Amino acid sequence: MARTILLILLFFIATASFAQKRHTVSGTIKDEATGELLIGATVRIKQLPQIGTATNSYGFYSLSAPDGEYTLLFTYIGYETIERQVVLHKSQTINISVSPKSTLKEVVISANKPNNDNVASPQMGLEKLNMTQINQVPVLMGEKDILKTISLLPGIKSAGEGNTGFYVRGGASDQNLILLDEATVYNASHFFGFFSTFNSDAIKDVSIYKGGMPAEYGGRLSSVLDIKMNDGNNKNFTVQGGLGLIASRIKVEGPLVKDKGSFMISARRTYLDLFLKASSDSTIKGSSIYFYDINAKANYHFDDKNAIYLSGYFGKDVLSLKNTFGTNWGNSTGTIRFNHIFNNKLFSNTSLIYSNYNYTIQSLQSTDNFKATSKITDVNLKEDLQYSMGNNHTLKFGLNVLHHDIAPGDITTTAASSFNNISIEQRYGFENAAYVSDEWKASDKLTILYGLRLSGMFLLGPGTFSTYDAAGNTVTSVKYNSGQLVKSYLNLEPRFSASYQLNEESSVKASYNRNTQNIHLLSNSTSSTPTDLYVMSSNNIKPEIADQISTGWFRNFKDNTYEFSAELYYKQLQNQIDYKDGAQLIANQNVESQLTYGSGRAYGVELFLKKKYGQFNGWIGYTLSRTELKFNDINNGNYYPARQDRTHDLSVVGIYQLNKRWSFSGTFIYGTGNAVTYPSGKYDIGGLTTYSYTQRNGSRMPSTNRLDIGATLEGKEHKKFHSSWTFGIYNVYGHADPYLITFRDSKTVPNTTEAVQTSIFPTPIPSVTWNFKF
Amino acid sequence: MKYYKFYIAPFIALLAISCTKVIDLKLGANTGQLVIEGNITSVSGPQYIKLSRNVPFTNTNTYPTVTGATVSVSDDNGNTYPFTEGPSGTYSINPMSGIAGRTYTMTVLTKGASYTAASTLPSPVQLDSITAKADVINSSKNEQNISVHYQDPAGVPNQYRFVMYVNNVQVKSVFAFNDQFTDGRHVDNELRENDIKVYPGDTVTVEMQCIDKPIYTYWVTLMQQGNNGPGGSVAPSNPPTNISPVTLGYFSAHTTQTRTIVVK
Repeated sequence: MARTILLILLFFIATASFAQKRHTVSGTIKDEATGELLIGATVRIKQLPQIGTATNSYGFYSLSAPDGEYTLLFTYIGYETIERQVVLHKSQTINISVSPKSTLKEVVISANKPNNDNVASPQMGLEKLNMTQINQVPVLMGEKDILKTISLLPGIKSAGEGNTGFYVRGGASDQNLILLDEATVYNASHFFGFFSTFNSDAIKDVSIYKGGMPAEYGGRLSSVLDIKMNDGNNKNFTVQGGLGLIASRIKVEGPLVKDKGSFMISARRTYLDLFLKASSDSTIKGSSIYFYDINAKANYHFDDKNAIYLSGYFGKDVLSLKNTFGTNWGNSTGTIRFNHIFNNKLFSNTSLIYSNYNYTIQSLQSTDNFKATSKITDVNLKEDLQYSMGNNHTLKFGLNVLHHDIAPGDITTTAASSFNNISIEQRYGFENAAYVSDEWKASDKLTILYGLRLSGMFLLGPGTFSTYDAAGNTVTSVKYNSGQLVKSYLNLEPRFSASYQLNEESSVKASYNRNTQNIHLLSNSTSSTPTDLYVMSSNNIKPEIADQISTGWFRNFKDNTYEFSAELYYKQLQNQIDYKDGAQLIANQNVESQLTYGSGRAYGVELFLKKKYGQFNGWIGYTLSRTELKFNDINNGNYYPARQDRTHDLSVVGIYQLNKRWSFSGTFIYGTGNAVTYPSGKYDIGGLTTYSYTQRNGSRMPSTNRLDIGATLEGKEHKKFHSSWTFGIYNVYGHADPYLITFRDSKTVPNTTEAVQTSIFPTPIPSVTWNFKF
Repeated sequence: MKYYKFYIAPFIALLAISCTKVIDLKLGANTGQLVIEGNITSVSGPQYIKLSRNVPFTNTNTYPTVTGATVSVSDDNGNTYPFTEGPSGTYSINPMSGIAGRTYTMTVLTKGASYTAASTLPSPVQLDSITAKADVINSSKNEQNISVHYQDPAGVPNQYRFVMYVNNVQVKSVFAFNDQFTDGRHVDNELRENDIKVYPGDTVTVEMQCIDKPIYTYWVTLMQQGNNGPGGSVAPSNPPTNISPVTLGYFSAHTTQTRTIVVK
């Protein structure tokens, strides 16, 4: 397979060099007002509609065409289209700035047809959200939330209230690769999943790949959530911020050197702890509960060909009970990127990335005293190259060397404590990859994106590494020296997708991709407790593998104002992980003995109708799906529904711009309840009512549904100062969504049992936020 | 370490406006399965093995007994102890006491099927004392938490189960611990529970059992399923039994000792 693809690739490179005389136009596309580089802005040639391209993650584009005179069209959603005449007798650089247009104007002026990229591009399973939409969708307590908003898209399901993460096409939440400026974010939630770590003020672009993953991404099975931070305004200094019910935020940005370099700093902090201070109880009064985020970025463009970017994120959750208990956890990431344009066809990005997640749990009482810490640290060196060839080929290739350092757990105690000092061996490993892919416009109608990713996992010493039998007993135990190879895995991951355009407004697409995963989350709770533990593939844990095929029909209506898509997918999963009964995961040197392995499958259909433009816009997404797992020692070795299996999932999002000052929004969601295990009987053990179970996840929680609404009032226009109010109501009709169902002896009727449903937000929750900018 | 969820729960409650309500659920029924609960203790006196069957969730908490079974226990020293029935479904022998280090094998013959299980009686560990301490939150309410104190023997794995009674009513919580974090320490373990609140003046009795590893796994699995922390815990299943062929229940040879205090 690999060889075939390489041969095909070589063939095209060879033929490309014999092609007719062509010239290349390249450059960057920026926002006129802020100087922000725009990602995914399109460039096409009016006279040759089949030739077109889009800017990459760094705002760079490159386009080739035969000798001639053309009109270039530069478009970006929500921005004025720019036309530029070019005489193409030699290759040239054209840098363009586009300016945003107001939503109302857009309704009136529709001279420029919105583009049909979603139909023409071979990419499948990609969802993009622009920040304007994210900012308008109503959310819990007015905290704009990227993770909650993407879960309104088909195929992406929120894990539910008070639960972290999201499930993509049936995959577990640790099977999502979450990148913030290329750095892995291990725990993307604050406060046990009520809020996400992404402060939307600091975010420029959000893309999520559910399938058809391009070869430049790897390392997780289910999805890639690629988040890019704002570069910072390089024209003017601006300050913007907001005061909300539970948190405030502020962002400062401006030029470092006008038109050459800029910076952005954004911060957010909650003030829930003020409520604690108001308590009459002295213990609660002396306790803390808060989280904060800081995003910072700076860039400098040496010249047209060289630019450097520095970005960082730091976030932390703190929770403590006076003199009793304390815990804190957080992520920090740092990225240094260097962009270099070799020539108008070859673009290079080099990144050095740091990522860290750690937690501390502390018990402060004298006899219970302990402090448990755990951390994971990644250092990643990445080289990505993009080469635009004539004959409609865009080649991407690169290398990635990622070093993991995992300290699974250290416990330190005092002499009077009940607990011992424990230190679990640190683990080291490399996750390396090389990839190549080509987007080939085979004809006016057929575009093929194909590639190959080679991923390698190398687990290294020092340390003692054991193997375990099925019962969890140690079979072998070998000591390795520092840097000695313990176990390696190599995997080839073919990626392929193609689109065939039936006409201007519709296309069919198909894709196949294999993904592998070498870092696994162990957590036997669905909530985001800070005790998330990561392990690498090892003697016992094999790389998780997913093979996904999908096919879809894409259709636009009314001059591309409406987009419709239907996608079908089938996914086969290997080497999935579950835990044995009574598994003890925290600070356990033999944690791998607590695991059991199986397989899974997921399939479904996703329907999506979106109105992109106009006074009224929004979307309807519906997913019909099934996700099943199979473990030898569970459910007699038969397939059973995964907890996140959700038969029906519906989301409706509407945004209405009434006039220049008022806009309204609403979202409605409906979903089949989670698959859970309910008792099939009861008996008495040791004086306790005990429940017996027959089938794993054989029952369903009640379905969930909820309506949220929001409104934004823009302040009167001032020259320098702009403000707005955002109002919201979460759970408008006060539906009590089930969070947890427990079974207990009845408190009211003696000698019987009852089922009890716990709901977290059973009543409407209003919110108000004041935003400003100057 | 196992306590952190108890501390986190009040914070979640602070943010959320959570509510609970009793709901009607359609539950499947797979009932009439044999339940065996067998205990051999280190204290001389009657030893019991109880046989019953499970019932649907919607029934009352009364369980049909299994009568007419042949029940016996043997040890690895060649002794056999026949158990006799009475009252219905309860099989006993009196007097008998288990000896530390000895492995006991239970055999139950009922309706033509034979069930066996083996358990080794661990060495005793002294329960030094039990104490009560006011809860740190809402200390004005004077709610008390009960702690057990014992010296864990160093260098050997130990497993413990505690049963707690407040004014002679059993607390409906499972307490099972091992010494993974506490080997060789003087241990002060709080028995955290949400069933019965303890106040000054209450009489609290705690039974300490030293149990073997398989029985620890049995109880700790039940304990994890009972502690439905934030977001729900692991998918529940029948705890792994030491009885073969697999049926509901367990057979445990364990030490026992009790202490009683009146909370001040």
